[in-house]
Amino acid sequence: MKVPILRIGRMLLASVQVELRDTVADAFQQDVLAAIEKNGADGLIIDITALDIVDSYVARVLLDTGRMARLLGAPTVLVGMRPAVAATLTRMGFVMDDVYTALNIDEGLHLLQGIAGRRLGA
Amino acid sequence: MVERQYMARLNMDDNELRRRLSAFEITEEDLQRLASLRPLAERHMDGIIDDFYKLLLSHEEMRVHFPDEATVRHVKRMQREYFLGLFSGKVDLRYVEDRLRAGAAHERIGVAPKLYLAAYSRYLRLILDRVMQDVTDVAQACQVYASIQKLVHFDMALALDTYLAASIDTITRHQAAIRELSTPVIRVYERILLMPIIGTVDSQRAQQIMETVLVRVVEEQARVVILDIAGVSLVDSQVADHLLETTAAVRLLGAQTILTGISAQVARTIVRLGVEIANMHTCSRLADGIELALRMVGKRIAPEMQQRSE
Repeated sequence: MKVPILRIGRMLLASVQVELRDTVADAFQQDVLAAIEKNGADGLIIDITALDIVDSYVARVLLDTGRMARLLGAPTVLVGMRPAVAATLTRMGFVMDDVYTALNIDEGLHLLQGIAGRRLGA
Repeated sequence: MVERQYMARLNMDDNELRRRLSAFEITEEDLQRLASLRPLAERHMDGIIDDFYKLLLSHEEMRVHFPDEATVRHVKRMQREYFLGLFSGKVDLRYVEDRLRAGAAHERIGVAPKLYLAAYSRYLRLILDRVMQDVTDVAQACQVYASIQKLVHFDMALALDTYLAASIDTITRHQAAIRELSTPVIRVYERILLMPIIGTVDSQRAQQIMETVLVRVVEEQARVVILDIAGVSLVDSQVADHLLETTAAVRLLGAQTILTGISAQVARTIVRLGVEIANMHTCSRLADGIELALRMVGKRIAPEMQQRSE
């Protein structure tokens, strides 16, 4: 199972529908980073609406992917986290300081465009 | 159908029934002995029941449960069935269900357990007086006495269980109501939620606050949640930690929190306790919090005059 990565203008959208385990997680990271490297991107949106459960391993994969994308110049926004997932991650003391968060894809896109705009303006 | 619920609540199945019978030391022998008394019981039934209700009606507190003749006739009929049940020689799940139905009926019309037991004690005395008259052999009389005692107590235990189960149900309902009341979430404006927190915040409540806030944020797609702690009786480091946790979780969803209703006293406590709240938006007054929230969603409150001149 591959995680589909779509391009929306200068942004990338990865919609995670399957559990990010071992090889899937690796492939996901590689695919995302390769896509950014190949054509460049102003930002990366990772949609996890479909994930009912996110354990610390998967959370780590998501966070690391965000950090790697930022090194390539694409700030990452995590969207669509379920309430129960947020509660569990917080209780585990998991901090996601290096990625942005947004309620849905729309807002995530808006947020990234704002960041890209500011960067161009500066 | 109530009795079915009680059956489930008491985990009543063949195993449980067996355990109960053995707890009351009710044997097949007891049941056979009672069954053999059935003709005797039938003979005395009406006398016992008439005397029983005469006694009940003579008592002020008990009388209120029998408002008219029709009620008395009805309960007497039920009582006859109940009475014959004691001498049926069989205690199976149907028997238990019958007994639970009787218990549930008493509970429903509000017969206090003390009156129930008092009435039962009279009932037992009447039964023993009448039935024992005809048992001439002393040894046999003792055995009959013991058998009736056992089964009657078995029945009483079932009735008490229905009372307890009903009370527990009531408490559970109240707890749910309190829980709901204790975490209200108000939609102040499009995409702005407010949760006023009142009373004490223990870890169970904090967890509930967090869960409610998170669910509502996603439901309403809210950008900002205002947590107003003006009504919190005691803010210590634990409460502060809970608030920080909620803030962190809300951020994971992609929304923000504003903490309002902070008194001077609470501000001092928080700093003295060394709680790190740097990454939290805070205001002392709720009004300021609402203004800040509006700014976050790109709105602002402006005086009417100014709006007209624009």
